[in-house]
Amino acid sequence: MEKVLVAFAAALAIGLSAIATAWAQSKIGSAGAGTLAEKPELSATIIILVAIPETMVILGFVVAAMILFGV
Amino acid sequence: MIVRMSKVEIVGPRDLLKRVISFLRDVGIFHIEPDIVGFVEKRDEKHIELFLPDKDDLSERIFLEDLKSKVEELFSYLPAVHLKSRFIEPRVIIDSIKEILQRHLLLCRGIYQKREVFKKELSELCSHGPLLDALEPLLKGVKKMPDIDFIGLVLKDPGIKQQLGEFLMWHTGGKFELLTSTASDGTTVGLITVSKDLSARVKNLLGEKDIPEMKFPPSFNNLTFIEKVRFLKDRIAEISGEIELFDMQLESFLIKWGPIYKRVREWLDKRLSVLKAATSVFETRMCFIIYGWMASGDVNNLGKQLNENFEGKVILKELGIKEEDIERMPVMLKNPAYFQPFEIFTRILPLPRYTSYDPTPFIGIFFPLFFGMMLGDAGYGLLLIILSLLMIKRFQKNRNISDAFKILSVAALYSFIFGILYGEFFGNLGHGLFGLRPLFIDRQHAVIPMLYFTVTVGVVHVLLGSFLGFAIACRRKIKKEAICRLINIMIILCILSFVASLFGLFPALLTKPIVLVIIILTPFLLFTGGLLAPLEIIKSIGNIVSYARIMAIGLTSVLLAFVANRLAGMTGDIIIGVAVAGLLHLLNIIIGVFSPTIHSLRLHYVEFFTKFIEPGGKKFEPLKK
Repeated sequence: MEKVLVAFAAALAIGLSAIATAWAQSKIGSAGAGTLAEKPELSATIIILVAIPETMVILGFVVAAMILFGV
Repeated sequence: MIVRMSKVEIVGPRDLLKRVISFLRDVGIFHIEPDIVGFVEKRDEKHIELFLPDKDDLSERIFLEDLKSKVEELFSYLPAVHLKSRFIEPRVIIDSIKEILQRHLLLCRGIYQKREVFKKELSELCSHGPLLDALEPLLKGVKKMPDIDFIGLVLKDPGIKQQLGEFLMWHTGGKFELLTSTASDGTTVGLITVSKDLSARVKNLLGEKDIPEMKFPPSFNNLTFIEKVRFLKDRIAEISGEIELFDMQLESFLIKWGPIYKRVREWLDKRLSVLKAATSVFETRMCFIIYGWMASGDVNNLGKQLNENFEGKVILKELGIKEEDIERMPVMLKNPAYFQPFEIFTRILPLPRYTSYDPTPFIGIFFPLFFGMMLGDAGYGLLLIILSLLMIKRFQKNRNISDAFKILSVAALYSFIFGILYGEFFGNLGHGLFGLRPLFIDRQHAVIPMLYFTVTVGVVHVLLGSFLGFAIACRRKIKKEAICRLINIMIILCILSFVASLFGLFPALLTKPIVLVIIILTPFLLFTGGLLAPLEIIKSIGNIVSYARIMAIGLTSVLLAFVANRLAGMTGDIIIGVAVAGLLHLLNIIIGVFSPTIHSLRLHYVEFFTKFIEPGGKKFEPLKK
């Protein structure tokens, strides 16, 4: 039972953060695509803005790994 | 790297100004500064005035600009073909050229406009092409009699044919014939043969049933259906011939006059650029003065060349750079051959300031390293090296593609090296085939050690960025910012040591002193960086953790390779097994090229460059051909 709970906790840690990242990136990505159509010179800024929410899923992944491996 | 710039002043007699500008344009290494600020002392400003072109210069500029616009218009009518330039001196024959250009312009404009009218008509007629091609066999199969009329149809739904047949049967009493065919674009066309006295009624009924008749241009209205089809075909052939004739006329004009007008255009460009540059020059009662910037390494050479070409009458002097000049200094990036391909990644970033660093060398060092750490498979690395070398050879002339594959070749080499260190050759195939073992870490099983390793790489990379930011603040002599950045680095180091001691990586005894240091440093941080300064530290910690993606992406790559080999083994057949493994490994290589590229770039753009790159540099734009 404990194993199941641990696995479930790890899945929640990565799954929820992945959903949050996906949601944030979809919003920023669509706005960024609109911006790029008018101002292509802002491509670097848009890449940075789209990339920022990725940290959430990476943190989720680290937490999931720590839960699974009992760190 | 950002090239070291010198502030330069060129002085000479006024009558030599245009020759000097022309010389500078040919050399192409001098950036003219149109603003006097920073070049002349306040007390001397009253002696120096902006060079005002005289009446002759102004009328020459207007004349040449008008001529250039006409030459450009002429070229817009002619086919785009690479032309050789004629060795003539346009200045001598410029009046004759102006006269003849007017006639040539009228001639070419006339041909071009007629050609455009015919092209428009042709495209309109050609839209009927597929329908006519489908109708032709139908028309061949029916008898042409004087009391018979034909109605061409476009059927939106091919299934309507039967209903239409029944409908026509009812209204014509069976005195009709309906044939259908499918055009090359998929449209179904129909041909109704009916006696002339019933034709008008059938057309009305078809309109009521919303079955469109085939439409022809309005000029065809007085013709019968058969005549329309024939006329359309004839007209298409006639117009195509006319267009071909116009093309030939324009081409023969281009062969005869193109090289001369090309030379005239080049001369006009040069002359106009000299006249325009002259408006950014300053003058005293006797001399002209050109202020500007150039690479420090070229100063002596240009000075000597000016001295030789103008018999010592034109002098180049290097001026001292003041602190306020730094904001105005233009930026030129120049990198060694190894780093040059990586400029495709930094070109999308805004130009860094003169006091900042060129991001290219950093991306040239760390990008392949991170890529290799993520992909980390000797087999994939070898394949990608071979592929990229072949592509570099294949696309030698296309610089962007060749640069992209040069980057891939370096990244693949790192992937090969890390593959040896991780003991991976097409996943675990190397272990099975020739006993390849990990030299450094088995990343498939040692997940947590790999996590520590990648986060450590992040610590080094982020702290290097922060340290470069500190160095820039020192170079710009902004003390408060420099101290803030230094405290930032110290607090990050303390936090990392604290976390390491909690995980048992550092002695637990260190925990209390570290916390004490953080508490002592925090007020200084708030004082130098403001209330938002602690946020920067939290951001930096987040940035460091972000490097865990190197491990995460590497893990997916190694697991997919493992699955490929495992599935191949499960098939029990050598041919199917090789095919399955090959396909999955190919998929893994494709993902393994894109994913590490994107994530490695992200680590640079978001985590690393934001620590020290200062955008807002002014581009070095020398006067050149």
